[in-house]
Amino acid sequence: MTRAAVPPRPPDPDGPRQVSKFEFNLLRILRFMVGHFPADQGMQLVRAAVSRPECLSAGAVDLIKDTLGKACVLFLVRQGAWRNDKYLRDNNPTPGRVWERIPLEERSLLFSRPVLEFLLWATAEKVNDTKAAWDAAPKALTPADELFFWLAFDATRTDPDLLAALRKKDAFRLNPLCWATFPGDMVEGDEVTPPNFAPMFEGQRAVLLECLQPHLTHRWIRSERMKGQMGDWKKMRQQGRAEFAALQAFLKAAAEAKRTDLARFVLRTNAALFTSEMTPVFWTGGLQGSGPPRLADRLDTQRSALAVPRQMDILEGWQNSALNVGYFDDGYQASQMWKADWEAVSGNRVAARARATVEMLEPLRGPIGGTPAANPAVAPGDNPEGSSG
Amino acid sequence: MSRAYRITVKESDTRHLKAGDEICTQLEILEILPPEDMAALLKEELKKRGFEEQDDGTMVRKDGELTVKVDPCSGEVSVKAETEETVAQEAKRDATGFNDVGPSEKSLRDRVKDQLKADLDKKFEQEQSRLQNKATEQLEKHLTELQPEISEVVNQVTRDALKQKAQQMGTVKEISEDAESGSLTIKVEV
Repeated sequence: MTRAAVPPRPPDPDGPRQVSKFEFNLLRILRFMVGHFPADQGMQLVRAAVSRPECLSAGAVDLIKDTLGKACVLFLVRQGAWRNDKYLRDNNPTPGRVWERIPLEERSLLFSRPVLEFLLWATAEKVNDTKAAWDAAPKALTPADELFFWLAFDATRTDPDLLAALRKKDAFRLNPLCWATFPGDMVEGDEVTPPNFAPMFEGQRAVLLECLQPHLTHRWIRSERMKGQMGDWKKMRQQGRAEFAALQAFLKAAAEAKRTDLARFVLRTNAALFTSEMTPVFWTGGLQGSGPPRLADRLDTQRSALAVPRQMDILEGWQNSALNVGYFDDGYQASQMWKADWEAVSGNRVAARARATVEMLEPLRGPIGGTPAANPAVAPGDNPEGSSG
Repeated sequence: MSRAYRITVKESDTRHLKAGDEICTQLEILEILPPEDMAALLKEELKKRGFEEQDDGTMVRKDGELTVKVDPCSGEVSVKAETEETVAQEAKRDATGFNDVGPSEKSLRDRVKDQLKADLDKKFEQEQSRLQNKATEQLEKHLTELQPEISEVVNQVTRDALKQKAQQMGTVKEISEDAESGSLTIKVEV
């Protein structure tokens, strides 16, 4: 994404650059966090402590900058920026690859001091067991910083100790990208407080979201499929609640920002799940034992497990609103694009299947004998039988 | 000379235990008429089935230890099971002490009393769990019984709403209902 606006660099010395042991570890940790170094070795480095030097050498700083810039751009391009896709820009659909749609100044990644401070801290301290305080105020972070912290969190979250240590820090706890991707890992108890998603739909953060749409779809599909193997009722409830709250807040912010195109991953995840009729067992089939003693808690857990299908209600509402937008109304082009997205995945069928699955869990909604079929004679909008109309 | 003695301590306690379980769900009321008209029809139908209107507009019926509450405006139904019992429990423990070594009789007695308290708490916890299971079982059983009734209510409200809608559209010429299949045919002359 960034090719220009890079300051002139001194000519590279012959052969590999010389770095200290600390700098070498830092660079390996950085490469691990951006997915270019084996996870097991990277995890060991993060869990180890090395004495911190007074400062870093110019060569090391240069390598850090180089790695950050190239790896993050490469990641975004691979995850979806390369696609010739269509996204809204000033409420109008704009086609092309991300570098064709977005001017350079809007897609130049700028990393700030907190990223380097985090890397120094993660190298010098045992991240899972340290008293040395490190955190970054979320307001001070640039979109590129948030992207890096999201990558770092994703790389380390498989280790429960590292996950517990990092999610307490504001740089991760209030990172909207983390909440949009793995909300279940962002909570410890039943209390769920998603961050403000509104900034995600503006400026460069929105561009990042555009690039990440296929990645997010893939992640959510995988997460939904994994639920079927989850045996712990409490964990399922916590994860489901976090997902429900996060997706609700995300979709609300998307609607307010008129960027429904950035919620495609929710629609596509549901479309991938509901290729056929489903039952809640797909999500809850792995739960072990009879669960909590109270029926209310069991029901709440099962409802939480279906957090993603329950979002189809909101998306269906968007579709209904889009259908009512006239040619001369504001946002006609945007509504046409949403309708195209909806139809591309057979949204009506997906919504109906998702609703049916969610309703299977609801008590007092069993098979109804003798349901009166609303006769077309009196269905609104139709001509009654025997009428002259 | 060391002499052993044995003390026996008994503790009893009576507690009033409460347990409850509740589920909430939404009735599937079709929007055939405006929401306030659908709510009025639902209210009427619920009244016929023994529900009483409360000050807040909700309809409530008590079936023994179970309470069914319906909000006709939102269609929200809650079914609550509550059970309570006064439970008496007793615990007894023996302890052996020596007159020359070890703790004094008083401290031994205090220690046994503390252990007894823990025993009693455990017994009450078991009772609480039993009571909770009882409430949940009652709720589950009642839900099975309530489901057909709620389905009938929804069906009746839908039928009434369709008839009213037909009347609004023109002159109703013929209404035929088949209770078995649940079909309702209304012929309207506009």
